[in-house]
Amino acid sequence: MSAALTGPPLPIPTGPGRFLRQVDLPLLGTTLALAAFGLIMVYSSTHVSAHPFLYVRSQALHLAVGMVVGGLLLAVDYRTFASGARVLYVANLLLLAAVLVVGRTSLGAQRWIALGPLGQFQPSELAKIVIVITLAKHLTDRPGPYRSVWELMPFLGHIALPILLIFRQPDLGTALVYGAIFAGMLYAGGARRRDLAVIGAGGLLLVPALWHVLKDYQRRRLLAFLHPTLDPLGAGYGIIQSKIAVGSGLLWGKGLFAGTQGVLRFVPEHHTDFIFSVVGEELGFVGSVALLGLFLLWLARGVRVATVARDRFGALAAVGIVSMVAFHVFVNVGMTVGMMPITGIPLPFISYGGSALMTMIWATALLLNIGMRYQKAGIEFDASPAVPVRVIRMRGRSERLEE
Amino acid sequence: MDRERFERRLTVLLAVIGGMLAVLAIRLWQIQIVQGEYYLRLAEENRIRVTSITAPRGQIRDRQGRSLTLNRPAFTVSLVPTELRHPELVIPEVARRLGMSPQEVAARLAAIPDRPYEPVRVRRDVPKEAIAALEENRMDLPGVLVQVEPVRDYLFGPLAAHLLGYLGEIGDRELQTLRSRGYDAGDLIGKDGIERIYDGYLKGRNGQVQEEVDAQGRPLKRLATVPPTSGDIVDLGIDLDVQKAAEEGLGPRLGAVIAMDPRDGTIVALVSHPAFDPNRFATGIPVKEWDRLLHDPQQPLLDRAIQGGYPMGSVFKIVTATAALELGLVQANSWFNCPGYYALGSRIFHDHEEHGALNFVEAIAKSCNVVFWTLARPVGPDNLAKYARMYELGQTTGIDLLQESAGVIPDPDWKQRVWQQMWFPGDTLNTAVGQGYVLATPMQVARLLAAVANGGTLVTPHLVTRISSPDGRLLLRLAPPPSGQIHLSARTMGALRAGLEAVVTRGTAASIQIPGLTVAGKTGTAENPHGIPHAWFAGYAPIDHPTLVVVALVENVGYGAEFAVPIVQRVLQAAFGTGQPGAPHPGPAPAGGTRPDDTHP
Repeated sequence: MSAALTGPPLPIPTGPGRFLRQVDLPLLGTTLALAAFGLIMVYSSTHVSAHPFLYVRSQALHLAVGMVVGGLLLAVDYRTFASGARVLYVANLLLLAAVLVVGRTSLGAQRWIALGPLGQFQPSELAKIVIVITLAKHLTDRPGPYRSVWELMPFLGHIALPILLIFRQPDLGTALVYGAIFAGMLYAGGARRRDLAVIGAGGLLLVPALWHVLKDYQRRRLLAFLHPTLDPLGAGYGIIQSKIAVGSGLLWGKGLFAGTQGVLRFVPEHHTDFIFSVVGEELGFVGSVALLGLFLLWLARGVRVATVARDRFGALAAVGIVSMVAFHVFVNVGMTVGMMPITGIPLPFISYGGSALMTMIWATALLLNIGMRYQKAGIEFDASPAVPVRVIRMRGRSERLEE
Repeated sequence: MDRERFERRLTVLLAVIGGMLAVLAIRLWQIQIVQGEYYLRLAEENRIRVTSITAPRGQIRDRQGRSLTLNRPAFTVSLVPTELRHPELVIPEVARRLGMSPQEVAARLAAIPDRPYEPVRVRRDVPKEAIAALEENRMDLPGVLVQVEPVRDYLFGPLAAHLLGYLGEIGDRELQTLRSRGYDAGDLIGKDGIERIYDGYLKGRNGQVQEEVDAQGRPLKRLATVPPTSGDIVDLGIDLDVQKAAEEGLGPRLGAVIAMDPRDGTIVALVSHPAFDPNRFATGIPVKEWDRLLHDPQQPLLDRAIQGGYPMGSVFKIVTATAALELGLVQANSWFNCPGYYALGSRIFHDHEEHGALNFVEAIAKSCNVVFWTLARPVGPDNLAKYARMYELGQTTGIDLLQESAGVIPDPDWKQRVWQQMWFPGDTLNTAVGQGYVLATPMQVARLLAAVANGGTLVTPHLVTRISSPDGRLLLRLAPPPSGQIHLSARTMGALRAGLEAVVTRGTAASIQIPGLTVAGKTGTAENPHGIPHAWFAGYAPIDHPTLVVVALVENVGYGAEFAVPIVQRVLQAAFGTGQPGAPHPGPAPAGGTRPDDTHP
């Protein structure tokens, strides 16, 4: 790959083989373990039906496609994405806007775009990665130091547009994921704690205003969380049933595939958003904590990628991905055990859903990509571009070359 | 930012993540280990039951605040699929007690598969005796649930049935679009009339109970209750007394009666006969009975006032007169001679009577066909259609009811298009006296009369005047703007009104005698292909500042003067009070009305 041939201070030997040897194997292994775990749980939660393999086959297909594309992504130097950030950002906005216009409606929300034989595609999932990339680039172009909250405003504007579009779908959960990505990346990127606190407080102040924008079912879900006893139309029912399912798993669980007969049919969407209730019921406390352990391992390796990344862009992109996955896990499992409102955020790698699964695989590919091109460049980040020098000169950014 | 600080922050980030996962693990320990036995018991016995509490439907009231509908408590028998342990025994037993076939009961269970923990209604409004029998055997009937639900009660039975409409169980397709608006499977929803159009207001919001139940389905502990919210109150412009007078006036005959305020289009009475009893629908109508209603040759479900297209007969002469006056072909005092027939080429058109010499006002009063046939040719078919359309005949009035008919106003183009035939001079003559192809609904006729009465405003008829919440807060005031304004010269207007007044004072409707009330109007006797002519009368009162338009149409009985005029007289008496000059009329004032009760005998 052309990217591999450039980057002035790269050590010898060059070529793809060198990078593959630097792949973060624990991260790759954890990812594969999580994905396999997910397939088993999807099967377990859907096999009692006329077509026991319907869901798991679709999930496996998406996993395979996701891994092939992810493998190809490894070959492209991640810094290439940085140079295309502007285009990505605009394309992303267009795609999100397109959902509002031509999207398929389901459960009262417009989130899908039909792709013919490929099924449906949920642009807001892919948009999560795109936002990580473009925000990382933005933070690299304006490296700070950020001396006031006003200097963070460009970044706030950066995520505000896509959030607004996703909010219109409406998809409250995904909009919150963007908030988490923003918080994690800006914190790691050097924003002052008090400035982030100010933005967070501002967001909280917006809540009463947002209340009027929320769809009726979203309000009900929030209310059902705040007052589990107040349960207008079954939103709280889901929470109670999910707690019953998880709680009844006890220490060791009822055994794999043994839980679906009794309780789970009462848990709504138990193969998608509530899949952790299947884990809790069938594998018990031990299995649930083991799964959380796998996630912790994955996240820790992700943080490690951030520490070894050769440049600020890579490091911040890694932080963004870690923030995203951590938020997903916390909110999803929290929801299943009645600690968080029902927001429709899937459990990464585990929940049934093609777009989400492929997004997570590609996010992992991006992490591996950053990790395997690491290089200890001393105290400061390497600022060398991924693209060949000639191209840069033609674009008139010669000042960079003087570094 | 230096790398060291960055790594420090990453350490903090990782610590935060670890902390969050630890919180989750602690929570899991709490519900799986500490409270695990409790949840396991709940899981095994599956003892949470969710039942919805049906919201009382909003009231519909007349303009004086008198209720037309209420709710009465009734027993509903439901089955809870998850608690139904021996369906093969329970279903036949329940079916027997409810007088249904086991197949019917099973079909109702199968219809709602997605939430097995929610009760499925098998039958509403079950008699007390059957409930007593079911309760006695409750131990042998796990999964059977008896609830008390409000049931719609139409206090006056078939009175105003067509405008009130009726209820029915929500259909699958309706449910798909309405689920997000709080509708649920098994809900009753308005299927026609006010009940349908204003269903969103009337429905209210169902409540819910979550409770733990024991193995026999007896409630042990209430986990949560959300009380239902009653539906909103819909106030109509209908006056119950006037409505009753109109219903009784029409009696058992087929037809329609409308009373409307010509100033703003508020409907004061609206009758269509034959009617049906909406109470039969309030708990879900049996299929057989529904079929009978649907296939009754008298079409009781048809709202003749707005869906029936009738030849207008001589009532259409108002339009012909407007055209002739506006075109300057005739004046109020123009003289005609009526020999009792009119010759069109070799064809002779016979009038019902030989009127001799008479002026134009008298021609309207006596409904002289010869005069209007004479005027028909110079006016011409296109002008007839033009002036008819000016009165917005041939298009719907926009009343707040469904499936209104537009009627037909023919012209040569129309005939060519629909019948592929030439327009003959005879067609013009027929049209001029409201025969031939002309079709109009009584509601369109009422608006035509209102336009003459109020000086040319084409009001939008409407039934609902306001909607308020159960606690009396005004939510919505409905006063739809007029759909148009027609401009007639003062001379035309004067001649028209003089003619319509003469109809009552010395013409075809001279039988109307209400002391202290001046009335104007036009009779019509509409020949039709179904036999005996339809009888029309359309009038307004009082003549100097009209506050009520009344239209009566009786199908296949004979002369308008004989059959329709007495109905209108009766309605006017009810509305204005017999022999009480200047009695305040039911103005547009909302419920609680301005009219003292003693004006109603």
